[in-house]
Amino acid sequence: MLLKIREKAQGVFAWIILLLICIPFALWGIQNYLDVGKETPVVTVGDKDFFQRDVNRAYAEYSQKLAGMGVDEQTLKQQALNKLIRDEVLLQYVQDQGLVVTDDAVRSFISSLQYFQVEGRFDKKQYRALLAAQNMSSAEFEHRIRNALIMEQFQHSILDSSFATAYDVDRFLKIQNQQRDFEYVTIPLPKVTETPSDEEVQAYYQQHQKDYQTPEMVAIEYIELSLPELAAKVQATDQELQAFYEEHQDLYRTEERRKISHILFAAGKEGDEAALARAQKARERAETEDFTALAKELSDDKFSAKQGGDLGLFSVGTMEPAFEEAASKLKEGEISEPVKSAYGYHLIKVTELVPATTKPLSEVREEVKKAFQKSSAENTFYELSEILTEVSFEQPDNLLAASDATGIPVKKSELFARDSKQGIAAEDAIREAAFSEEVLQGNDSEPIELGTDRLVVLRVVEHQPAATRPLQEVRASVIAALQRSKARQQAEELAERIKRQLLAGESLQKLADAQGLELQKRTAVTRDKGDLPWQLRQAVFKAAKPVAGKPTVFIVDYSDGQKAVVSLLKVTAGSVDLQDAKQRQNIEANIAKVQGQAVFNAVIKDLQAKADVTINMEK
Amino acid sequence: MEIYTSEEEQIAALKRWWKSNGQAVISGVLIALVAIVGWNLWQSHQKDKALQASVLYQQLVAAVNAQKYDSAEKLSERLRKEYDGTPYAGYAALLQAKALVERDDLPEARATLQEAVGQVPGELEHVVNLRLVRLLLASGEYEQGLQLIAEKAPGSSENFAPFYEELKGDLYVALDRPGEARTAYQQGLRGGAVMPLLQFKLDDLTAPEIVESVE
Repeated sequence: MLLKIREKAQGVFAWIILLLICIPFALWGIQNYLDVGKETPVVTVGDKDFFQRDVNRAYAEYSQKLAGMGVDEQTLKQQALNKLIRDEVLLQYVQDQGLVVTDDAVRSFISSLQYFQVEGRFDKKQYRALLAAQNMSSAEFEHRIRNALIMEQFQHSILDSSFATAYDVDRFLKIQNQQRDFEYVTIPLPKVTETPSDEEVQAYYQQHQKDYQTPEMVAIEYIELSLPELAAKVQATDQELQAFYEEHQDLYRTEERRKISHILFAAGKEGDEAALARAQKARERAETEDFTALAKELSDDKFSAKQGGDLGLFSVGTMEPAFEEAASKLKEGEISEPVKSAYGYHLIKVTELVPATTKPLSEVREEVKKAFQKSSAENTFYELSEILTEVSFEQPDNLLAASDATGIPVKKSELFARDSKQGIAAEDAIREAAFSEEVLQGNDSEPIELGTDRLVVLRVVEHQPAATRPLQEVRASVIAALQRSKARQQAEELAERIKRQLLAGESLQKLADAQGLELQKRTAVTRDKGDLPWQLRQAVFKAAKPVAGKPTVFIVDYSDGQKAVVSLLKVTAGSVDLQDAKQRQNIEANIAKVQGQAVFNAVIKDLQAKADVTINMEK
Repeated sequence: MEIYTSEEEQIAALKRWWKSNGQAVISGVLIALVAIVGWNLWQSHQKDKALQASVLYQQLVAAVNAQKYDSAEKLSERLRKEYDGTPYAGYAALLQAKALVERDDLPEARATLQEAVGQVPGELEHVVNLRLVRLLLASGEYEQGLQLIAEKAPGSSENFAPFYEELKGDLYVALDRPGEARTAYQQGLRGGAVMPLLQFKLDDLTAPEIVESVE
């Protein structure tokens, strides 16, 4: 059989067919080998994968922009991720739409960026150097700019075409600048002094039982092993301290503090020699002139130039070796000769220099003693923790054995509740253990670590379940509560009465006089000006407009129980004739902008809803 | 498949096959070549066209932002005529409508947006419709506005629904039908619309309390 195949597999055709069959077989499964070690993407948008490093980078870029705004890290991370996804969805959409930019547009955009300019002109060398510092190739950078530009094109189509009609502006002015006239009386809480009857007290107490509960409480006894306490008992001789001090010298040394400024002469377009010549000339001028002023005038490093050349604290490992060497050799106030780096030539000046110092033992004696005591007590602490753990486990129904074994006396606490903050119960871990089922049944707790230097074992000695406090104990506060509620009720009744009489056609002035209240009148109140309690202002602007000359009457509740009875007299629409034409234009532009942005967001949300996004976050 | 015993026979068979099929093979290859070259040419033509449109579009955006509405209109006319089929034509229509509104030519702006409906990509359909309704509102054609909303709003996502509801409310206010306006504004607020004025618009429509008979 095989022989037959061999015989027949000799013609030209046969060879070709054989070859065609072989190739797929030879390469079959090759992608499995190429895939080895591939990490799983964190986010996938369409066919684009983002890995952890991309997400980290997005986070770094995003948080840089919002630095110091006090947003917590988790929120920032989530926002950065959302932005990454949103941008990618938009990018894929605009690419799919066939939006493009010309090379010229990319080039002119890049050269308009201030970072890449030296003396107001785009500088190729500066461009290369800055990209290299960011670890980015120019191709990649241009690619990013290109993408940003086409996304912007799309954004312009919605945002820049957004408009506001005259109608929109008028409507805005009429509502936003609306004015309302009203009068009102404020009804204070009356003082209720009469003592309520026993029946009332009893009934109120019955109805509000949950206001008069005592919480569940426990009292504990405990053994506390504390490293600071052990340390305080350690005796230290002078020799021991001396030895310890010498062993840990680095703890008592302050590092050198060196602040530097520089002036950069970029070797950009004019070449090395010209830059060196400029640097040398500036070096001569620096003998007599102020370095800060020279930096502002001459430096090609525009960012530091604004600060008079200041680069802040100097730390080793962030600059080029030649620069570092020169910078670390200078004395305070001294200016270096021109130093060469990839950017060009620098003049460096040390503006502040505090040399490294080591404090003598006499000065830091207390500090040394504390550290020595702590380090000597550590062993004892760990030994005792083991004993404590062991004994309290072996004899779980008392603490005496553990106290004997460790030599630490048993302490007792007061009764405390689940939310107490007193004494040892201030520690969350202590309360949690004390109220755990295991401990409430009468067992010792597990050893509880408080920080790294305290260890506690506790047991409950008294347990008071939650209960309703007896009436005689809380009588006074029940009476006070009843009086408060009566006062509120009386204020409300008065408010309702005044409202009814107002509606019946009485004048508010008369009603106010009858009650000895002060009538307040306000005219032309706007949404945002004037000193009114916010509840009152809000209610006034939410109230129905007066119909057919009949005022709208309503009651405003303040949170402290006071009331106001308001009579809304007149509503005047905001004026649409502004004296200042410019102001109208601003409002128009603003409405258009807000509209455009809102609609653009809706478009993006639609795109995101349609896009194929997968997120595989850990945790 | 036939089985050949010698080389000569194989060659003869090949020649025979070529004689009967050769022409077809050659024309097939030629057609394929023409198709590939043609496709490539077409592609690069499209690319060039898109690039030209892109340049014009950037100029258009700059002109609108500099409030040079004359040149903006010329640029957008050109984009819409010569580069129809690129997305830029649709964007140009949107910008042109803005220029026309700025010059208080609402009827022309409306005509432009109506044409734009066919020119913009589907994702911008509701952007155009919402603006059309706002023009109808501004020019007092309230019933048409309501009708347009009735036609278009049902096809929109929950992201656009609040905007339609707000406009519906505005139209009912203009028609002095406060009850329906109130419902529409409430719907809009429920949909999470963030237009700052919406709550005030709703507050402005509070219904008077029904007062029981005066004693």
